[in-house]
Amino acid sequence: MKNNFDVIVVGAGPAGTTAALRMAQKGLQVLLLERGEVPGAKNMFGGVLCNCPVLNEFFPNFWNHAPWERYVVKRIVTFMVPESSTSLVFETENFDRPPYNGYSLLRPVFDKWYAEKAQEAGAKLVCGCTVEDVLQNGKAVTGVRVAREAGDVQAKVVIAADGVLSFLAQKAGLRKEFAPSQMALGIKALFRLKEEWINERFNVVRRQGVSQEFIGCTQGIRGGGFIYTQTDSLSVGLVLHLDSLKKSSIAPYELFESFISAFPVRRLLKGGQLLEYSAHLLPEGGYRMVPRLFTDGMIVAGDAAALCYTNGLTQEGMNLAITSGFLAAETVIEAFNKGDFSGRQLSGYERRLQESFVLKDMKTFKKTADLMYVDRLFSVYPALVGAIMEQIFRSDGKPRKKIGPIAWQTLKGSVKMRQFISDIIKGGRSLIK
Amino acid sequence: MIVDKLFELVSYRVHPEPHIVVNHNVCQSCTHRACTFACPAHCYQWNPAKERIDFVYDACLECGTCLIICDQGALEWHYPKDGFGVHFRLT
Repeated sequence: MKNNFDVIVVGAGPAGTTAALRMAQKGLQVLLLERGEVPGAKNMFGGVLCNCPVLNEFFPNFWNHAPWERYVVKRIVTFMVPESSTSLVFETENFDRPPYNGYSLLRPVFDKWYAEKAQEAGAKLVCGCTVEDVLQNGKAVTGVRVAREAGDVQAKVVIAADGVLSFLAQKAGLRKEFAPSQMALGIKALFRLKEEWINERFNVVRRQGVSQEFIGCTQGIRGGGFIYTQTDSLSVGLVLHLDSLKKSSIAPYELFESFISAFPVRRLLKGGQLLEYSAHLLPEGGYRMVPRLFTDGMIVAGDAAALCYTNGLTQEGMNLAITSGFLAAETVIEAFNKGDFSGRQLSGYERRLQESFVLKDMKTFKKTADLMYVDRLFSVYPALVGAIMEQIFRSDGKPRKKIGPIAWQTLKGSVKMRQFISDIIKGGRSLIK
Repeated sequence: MIVDKLFELVSYRVHPEPHIVVNHNVCQSCTHRACTFACPAHCYQWNPAKERIDFVYDACLECGTCLIICDQGALEWHYPKDGFGVHFRLT
């Protein structure tokens, strides 16, 4: 392997590959390092790539080229208790035409395809190559050390797109140790189901798809469940806050077992064949968790920069990673034009992120992170919803009450009013205003 | 139980050397042993006969849960080298 490049990108995930592709297009000599045997071999996500305009910039009518599975026309949020479930279903014709609003896809397939595009543009991809350290001259990053003989490779800039645990950002002094409260564990299983079964069970046609999130299925652990439809498979899994999991004494796969045994999930999976199991961490700390994004000779992108968020209703990550990789590339291209690779020059990356939806959205939902730490949201409230709905619909020959008294009675029995009001305020600050 | 089947369906190329090393001297003083239930691949088990944690790295999914939840500093944690370790095919 040559030991000197213009830029080294660590990690051939969405952020790294985007950066490599863009910089190679602009004529830079790019080395793209991937620790998996192929791009995607180590990568896992819930299941949906939200519509991302950068991809359409690379590949006009992106949806005609990329290997995705289904586009999402229907979003379902389900409050679940062991004996009942209450769902909010949204579907729209507006998501039924390009540019589609989001795509389910399989990461080893998509990431491999995407990295091939970076190679075609001229980036040098080396797989099976784990980066062990950053090379530094003083504080300035000057390259990386890979786990091979004579493994020092020099570059003007290193882009750390090495994923959620980013050891590179840590070694370069850009982030501190993680706390369990900043991370969530995602586990997922893939089930093969006949395409027509999926269409019937989710009431979709053609390549229409569904994303369904579940709250209340985690035995009180902060987190939730999900099902995403692929062409002839379902992604089914759980996301669990690590600090909450740590206190619980429950194993994730046991929770998973009870999740897929619950009746609203069991019916959807009937006859499905288990294909693969996977696990990965997610940055869950929101805007406050974002590390320092650059230093002399280095930029951090994607999960490595904790660019990932949920506000309870939407979950975004891959589109933020791709956009951050693109903006990292733009910054590095400008740095080469000026021949300046200092932190001051590379600070243009943070400015670009601040101006884009990436950091704007993360800021908008900064306080949502607080809501996600309310234990009651994952236990008491889903149970409340179930209890109220059942009383509204139950016919038993007894006189009915209006919704107000039903809600009041149920609420009074399960949560202190002071807590309820505080949660409502948190919820309001998170999502409404 | 589906749990046992879950683990059987993961593909690996196992390196002869472990990529995570447990310092048993340090983890002996741990009171919660959260690794024994939180690891999604069940790599950590309490061995009551030996009164210590048994760790098997072969089934590791490289997620990092153990690294984040271990508050004893008992783990020397690296990603596997040379493309070894877990290999997701579809996920």
